[in-house]
This record gives sequence, structure tokens and C-alpha cells, in this order.
Amino acid sequence: MVKTWDVVVVGAGHAGIESAMAAARMGATVCVVTLHKETIGQMPCNPAAGGIGKGHLVAELDALGGIQGWAVDRAGIQFRRLNSSRGPAVWGPRAQCDKERYSIMMRRLLARTQGITVIEGEANRILFERGRATGVGLAGGTRVCGRSVILTTGTFLGGVLHTGDDRREGGRFGERPSVGLGENLREMGLELRRFKTGTPPRLDRNSLDYTKLEIQEGDHSPQPFSWRTQAVVNRAVCWVGRTPERVREIIEENLDRSPLFGGRIDGVGPRYCPSIEDKVVRFPHHKEHTVFLEPETLHGPSMYVNGLSTSLPADVQEKVVRAVPGFEKASFIRFGYAVEYDVVAPKQVAHDLQVSSVPGLYLAGQIMGTSGYEEAAALGFVAGVNAVASLWETEGLRLGREQAYIGVLVDDLVNREHREPYRMFTSRAEHRLLMGVDSARERLMSEGVRLGLVPMGVFHVEQARWEKRRRVIEELEAGAVVPDHLTQDRLHKSLGFELRTPTTWAGILRRQDVDQEHAAAMAPGLGEMSAEDTAIIIGQLRYSGYIARHARERSRVERLRHIQIPADFSYRSIIGLSREVLEEMERLRPNTLAEAERLGGMTPAAMSLIAGRLSTMGRD
Amino acid sequence: MVKAFSSGLSSVLSGGADTIVARATAAGASALAVIRVSGPETCRLAGLLSPDINMASPWRAGVVRLHDESGVFLEEAIIIPYRAPRSYTGEDMLELMVHGSRWIVDAVVGTIISAGARQAAPGEFTRRAVANGKMDLVQAEAVNEVIQAETEWQARMAREQLHGVLSQEFRALKDALVALLAEVEGSLDFEEQGVVVDQGAHEAARKGCVARIDTLLVTVGAGVRVREGARVVIVGKPNAGKSTLFNTLLARERAIVAPTPGTTRDVLEAELEIEGLPVILVDTAGLREAEDPTEAEGVRRARREEERADLIVALWDVEDYNTLCFHEFKNTGRRLDIVSKADLAEQQIEGVLAISCLTGQGVDQLLEEIHLRVAAPVAAMEGSVAVNLRQAEALLRARKCLETLISVPQEVAALEIRSAMLALHEILGSLDDNEVLDAVFSSFCVGK
Repeated sequence: MVKTWDVVVVGAGHAGIESAMAAARMGATVCVVTLHKETIGQMPCNPAAGGIGKGHLVAELDALGGIQGWAVDRAGIQFRRLNSSRGPAVWGPRAQCDKERYSIMMRRLLARTQGITVIEGEANRILFERGRATGVGLAGGTRVCGRSVILTTGTFLGGVLHTGDDRREGGRFGERPSVGLGENLREMGLELRRFKTGTPPRLDRNSLDYTKLEIQEGDHSPQPFSWRTQAVVNRAVCWVGRTPERVREIIEENLDRSPLFGGRIDGVGPRYCPSIEDKVVRFPHHKEHTVFLEPETLHGPSMYVNGLSTSLPADVQEKVVRAVPGFEKASFIRFGYAVEYDVVAPKQVAHDLQVSSVPGLYLAGQIMGTSGYEEAAALGFVAGVNAVASLWETEGLRLGREQAYIGVLVDDLVNREHREPYRMFTSRAEHRLLMGVDSARERLMSEGVRLGLVPMGVFHVEQARWEKRRRVIEELEAGAVVPDHLTQDRLHKSLGFELRTPTTWAGILRRQDVDQEHAAAMAPGLGEMSAEDTAIIIGQLRYSGYIARHARERSRVERLRHIQIPADFSYRSIIGLSREVLEEMERLRPNTLAEAERLGGMTPAAMSLIAGRLSTMGRD
Repeated sequence: MVKAFSSGLSSVLSGGADTIVARATAAGASALAVIRVSGPETCRLAGLLSPDINMASPWRAGVVRLHDESGVFLEEAIIIPYRAPRSYTGEDMLELMVHGSRWIVDAVVGTIISAGARQAAPGEFTRRAVANGKMDLVQAEAVNEVIQAETEWQARMAREQLHGVLSQEFRALKDALVALLAEVEGSLDFEEQGVVVDQGAHEAARKGCVARIDTLLVTVGAGVRVREGARVVIVGKPNAGKSTLFNTLLARERAIVAPTPGTTRDVLEAELEIEGLPVILVDTAGLREAEDPTEAEGVRRARREEERADLIVALWDVEDYNTLCFHEFKNTGRRLDIVSKADLAEQQIEGVLAISCLTGQGVDQLLEEIHLRVAAPVAAMEGSVAVNLRQAEALLRARKCLETLISVPQEVAALEIRSAMLALHEILGSLDDNEVLDAVFSSFCVGK
């Protein structure tokens, strides 16, 4: 009798790990197929996780019961919150990680998690049973049989590595690609696309002159990502350097030897992750470019040169790097390279991350055209949960655009055309103010509890925390501040403004010209809150007008959601509706707005246009 | 534009839209009538109407004999075939010129419908043109205005709007907003990489946008003048000769004129055109303490008209001129005091325009003065096109968002700029989600 698993996960990177962990912890049996057991949980590019937009994903994933935040906290060696001087909606927690530690932890985690089996092998075809994808065939003929399949192949599908003229097949440095699987997907009628990404050189820590670089330290009171973590500490620093003008000359002289500009790379690269040759060509008026030197491990020699991603030939890379002040005597541990790989055009995938034309087959991570560890992990989690939910016929995970960045991520991927690897930015979220890192648990932890991935006890502790915040906000909104002499005097002395009309503490804290810390020290109720909670409360007060406005708009759509759309409703009378939406609506004629929302190609803008038309009907 | 173009083309190729037909000229007997057909089925329908219609050689007129489905001869017509995307709607189209007989038109349209086309809804050809990116919503609005234009100015303005003069201004404003937002978004998402908002430049750009909006909003008044006309209200004491002037200006007997003070008790309006601009001339009841309740109501209405007026022409009896000082006469943008019955003057009238409806003295000069004041906002536009009330409403919303910007954190400011952009998209009838990110990447060197 051949062993059969519930879920077969191909790949053990950030997406694969979250898929496997979510599925196993929900009680499913999982087989993880990886090329090498040693390369589980690698960080093949920069040694960091989080950031603005990406940090949101990690925080949300953690609130739902994912693993990445926990691992980053433990492998983290330097923690910084980007945008910390701004409101909580755009805080971007980020951590430098020890890559080796991260990988070892993930390997151990998979090994000790009940229900997970890891086997080595190269999957090269999908196995079907009664029209449903149920397993994979490995090179060598072994069959891994299951009930559904999640593909998280990263950059390995048809991977080709480029350094200058040197072109070799591979998924990552020193690793062979996966060839047969891509062919197999094509045969199944899926449309594949060619994407490209790149990575910078790694330098020996001991060959650099730090007197010419600027130090970058972690936060004074570093905050962990996960509810599983009590506290984190900073153990390492990063360095900042600047490329001189000479770098542009070197690159311009050798541009014909770049595979990007020499026409040897056809794949489309991300604009937000440009190579140094890209930057020099596109922004010739920039005299210098910033580079960040980030340790790849706590004690090892390898330093990652963030900002110098390149696929120029090795000798040119040496010239470029050594032109940077501080890097004159740099010795290379590894040269930068570009990798081209196949992705499945994500429009072929539904919101549950199941390939629309292949029941039982799920995709997550770079194979779906994303870029980044965080995007991959988030998708892996969604795919893992939905694969299990579908087997057990329970409710899966479908997050809305106003609910989570993960919802925005999935929705953007499956609904829009993408010509470059997709990375999260806060500007992609139209409901940005509602979806700060600070509110991730409040928004999503109940879902984690429902899925059985977050313990009830943890939820209650968190719930008590946000309810306390709510009480303090109510207090601040209610308590009047009357401009008597004593109060005026106090406010003038410590906050430097004249109070003339009665107001509330909430009113004072909302003012842009008021120093947050001083005001918080005086306001009732805030004294006993942590600095973190105080900042969150002030942020919420400052956003409240907008959140209320937003809620009014939402409730207008909400009210119309269940109204019948007349059978002869003229979508053509709505100007601004895209052809795609128009044709889909006319073909399927949804009965209500709620039904319309679930159709492919539906965008929030289109929803509000249709809602607008519905609400004015009968008036003209 | 190219993008919108191709999506229109693809919708035709994929057969997404159905084919529509309608008579393009007004109903009723006429020498000629034009029938239009648009949609993916046009070629097939053309073949059914007449084997001589050659859709393979488009944009060329031809004479063909049309038949109904059973081969009965209907009419000899001049036809012009169009191929997508080079047509009014961006789809395959056929225009047929036939004799303007109700029977012929109905028979041809009926044949096309029974072959599979659908009667077009009002404005549907233009709507398709918008959907296929052939024109934006602002241009589409002008189509009807061109058709409805009755005065020279109305026609001129509508034509320019159709040519995209106004669209260009909205698009420039929208692009300025995109740039403004890209800067804020860039700094929110890429602070780490040193993208910061240059406060001075940002404020200047914001003010620039507000100034653009204000320049556009100023034209609203002019637009109303051109489209609806200016209200010129004649006021004055009873028996000052208001109705005589009213009639003289209209050059016809419209109001009942009588020497009894208080003859005009209600408000009378009439339209006239002065040098290409429509003017609504209003005659009112004489202003005095009225005892008769009907006349008192007339006085109240006159006062109300005075408030609504774009221009008040206040008429003084020549006798009043003798008792008043000349500096009591006003001559401002909105009020013009004149003296009537100049033929009865005992002395030379100075410092104020004097007219006589009896001799015609000063009437041309008065018309000129009225035109000067009424046309002032139109002249101030310097050839641009006035925004209409729909556009003005959206512009005001955008302006309000831009005013709020100053006092809010950047993540909130981004929201306000987005709302302003949305207002502009509403004006132009377009939606594009990616333009902000595109702008961020093209203006900042971001990414590691």
C-alpha cells in the first residue's frame, strides 16, 4: 500500500514552509518535496525580512497563526521600525536576520512538526486522479501521492543564472533548476511568463574599511513581530556607503557586457529592485547611489551589499565595488547574478490560490509572480489553509482588500495583469489607514483562532489589550478640557499653545502642532499605557475622521450589497467601467452586488461605480 | 490612449459587444436621412443589405442598391464603411444615406434589426466611443452641445471641447495630481532609501494644482453665460419707461405699454442674442411703496430679480435726472444706471448714458454697454473652454481635498490627493490604478 498524504507541497522555501505548517497544524498529513534538505528555509537574496508593506504582511501572517514572524524574531540580529516618525498605519517593522540560523530553525521546525514528511527529489510532473491534481511524479519515477498539490517552486522553474556572458541553468547559486515541471504545466494549458530578478555581490567582512562608512544601528527598544515572542535584542549593526560618480563611468563603459542591456535576458525585472546598471541608465542625473552593507550571519564573514544588485561580468563587478569608498580592498565571497525563471500568469489562479482550470492544484510564492520572502510566506499560508479547507469542506481563508494586505496581495495577483514581479507597497492598499501593523491582531487574530492556528488564551490576552486601548480612547473623547486659568497655564507651559475654547483631550492629541510625548504625559489614562500603545492610540485619534468617512462609504456599498440588481440593469450606462468587468457582468448577470463582488476582474473602483448607479436608479 | 485603443479593438475581435443601429438625423420627412450601424456584426449585416457594400475597402463612399431579407429592393443609398478602430465608435461601422422618408428609413432600419442588430439607445454610439477610448467623457459631453448649439459662441465652445481643448486641461491637472501623490507615496514606501518630500516644492506643487482648479472654476460663470445666457434685469421707478426699453431692445411689442404707472405687475422675460451671446432680458414692476397687493407682489418679484441679475439696468426718468446729483448714478460691472426719455431733456445730460426709445438715441450704445459687461467673463477665458456644472462640482471636491492636505499627516494626505484624483477621473470618465506606481518608479531611484 502506497502512503497517501492530504497535501503534497513542492518546495520548502518561505511559501512551502507556511503551506506545510498551516496544513499540518490544521491536522492534515503533508509531504514536502524539496531538492535538498539542507536548503530548506533559505534567504537567497537579502538577509532581512519586513519593511514598509512587507512588514505588514509578516504581522498579519503572524496574527493568523503563520510561522515567519516567529522565525524572524529568533533569527533576527537587528530590528528597526521604518517610518517610525509617522502614524501607525505606515510603520514598517524590519529585521536583519542570521540566514543560517533562520534556515536551521525552519529545517528543525519541519522535522519536529507532527504530520509533516520531508523527502528529497525533483518533481517533474503533476499526477491526476479523476481530473483532480493529487500528487507529483519525481525524476527517477517515484510517485508522491496525495489529495491535493501546492507548488512553491520559487525561481527554480526553468531557472537560468546570468553573470556577464556567463549563462548557466540553475535555480539559485550552486543549485540546479527544475526543468520538466514547467514543460508539464505548459502541456496542461497553463500560460507561463518569464520574469527576472537579481542579487548583489557578497563581500568579506574583514576586507572592508569601516572608517569610510556610516553605521546604522537598530532601534532602542526593538519590538518583536510575533505574539509568540516576549522580547528581542539587537546583536549586529549595518553600514551605509555611497557609490561615487566613477561607478557610472565604469558601468557605461561596460554596458554592452551586461546581459540585461546586451539582450541576453528576456525576462521582466522588478522596477523597485533595479540593478545598479539599471539605476545608472535610468537616473543619469543621480551622482551617487546609497548602498547598505548587511551581515548575512551573526559571526560569518559574508556581507550583503544591498543596492548593488548586478549581473555585470565578474571583472566589472570588481571594478564597481572597489570604486566605492570603504570597499577599495574588498574581497568577493560571491559575485552578483541575475536569475530568469518561469512563472504561471497569476490570472489563471482563483482567490483560494487554486489554479482555475486544474482542481486540486494550488500555487504560492514566486511561481505566482511575486517577489519577496514575505509575499511568498503569505501566499503559502493562504494556499495551505485553503487546500485543507477544500478537502474537509470547511470554510477557507478569503481576506478582503479592506481587511488585510494579504487580501490586497491575493486580489491584485488574481485580478490584474502583471508584467513584473509583484511586491507589496502600502500604496497598493486603498484602505491603508485601516490596516496598520498595529491593528493586525485586532483585524485577523479571530480568523487564526477559527482555523485553530492561534490558541484561544493568546487571543484573550490580545483582546484585553485592544479593549483597554478602546476604553482609553473613549475616555479621551469624553473628558472635557475647560480653558480655565490653571489649565491654560499648564497647557501653555508644557505644550506651548493657547487654549481658548473648551475641547477634549482627544481634540488636543489630534493637533499636528502638539508634541505627542508631552501631551500623552498629561492626558488622563495614557500614563499607564506603554509607549507603543500610546502611539497607537494617538494614531487612531488622528485617523478617526477619515476612518469614519471611510466607514460611511463602506456602509453605503454594504447597504446596496443585498439589493437585487434588476435583470435588465444596463451596465453600459455606467461610464468608466472597464470592458473586462462590463463583459463579465453582462455574461453572468449577478443578482446582487455581493455576488458581483465575487466575480473575476471585479475591482473596488468598479464596485463603487455600480453601487453608485444602483443608488441613483429611479431618480432619473 | 494606445492602451484604451487596443482594448476597444480586442472587444470587437472577441465579439463582446452587440451590433446597434439607429437613424442619426432628426425624424420627419427630409431630403436625406443618415442611418448608422456599429458593432462586430457590421460586416455581415452589410453583406445582407447589399452584395455591393465592400467593407474591405473602408472610408470610401459608394452607391449601392439595398434589399430586404427576401430580396425586395428598398432604396438606392450612398454608403460609407468604416473599419475598427478607425471609426466614430472605435468599432466596425456603416453609414447609409437614404432619402428622408419615414417609410424608407423604417424599412432599412427594420431590415438591419431583423438581421440581428439592436436599436441603439440614445447616446449609445458616443458611449461606445468613450468605452473604446476614442474620446473621453468631457469630449462626449461636447457632442450633444455641438448638436444643440444655437449661438455662435455656443458652437465655438462646444467644438473646442469636442476637439479636446478642455480635456487637455483636465488631463494636465490630473497629471499634476499624480506627480503630487507619487512624491508622497514614494516617501511613505521608500523612506529608507532617502525619498523625502521636499516641503517647499510640494507646497508649491499643491498651490499650483489649486491655482489650476481656480482658473478652470472661473470659467463656470462664462460657461453659464454662453450656454444659458446672462440675465439682464431692467429696474426703475414706475413709469420710468422700462417696458418701452424692453420692447425697444427686443425690437418688437412684447410688453403692454401704457402711461399708467404700475402697468407691469409681473416679471416679463425674453431672449435675445447680442453678438453671439444669449441674453435673457427681464422687465420688472416699478419700484415704489405699492398699496395694491398684486402690485406689491410685483415689486417683491422685481427685488428678487434684482438679486439674481447678472446685470441690472436701472432706468431713471429724465425728471429724476434734474433732481439727482450725477454721482448718485452708478456704472459698475453689475449695475448700469441710465436716463430715459432723453428727448424730453431740458438741458444737456452729462455723466450718465441717456437714451430715448422714441428717437432711438443711445440705444445702440446701451446694447454695446450690455454686451461689454455680459461678455466680460467670456472674454476673460481667452479662448479656453468653460467647464460645466458637473465638472465644476468635481473640481470643487478636488479643491477641498487639496485644502485639507496642509494640516494632516502624510499617510492621510495621500488619501486626500487620491480623492482629488478620483474627482478628475470622474470628470474624464477613466480609471487607471497603476499610474501612481508608474510615476513613483519613474521619478525616484528606489529599490535595492
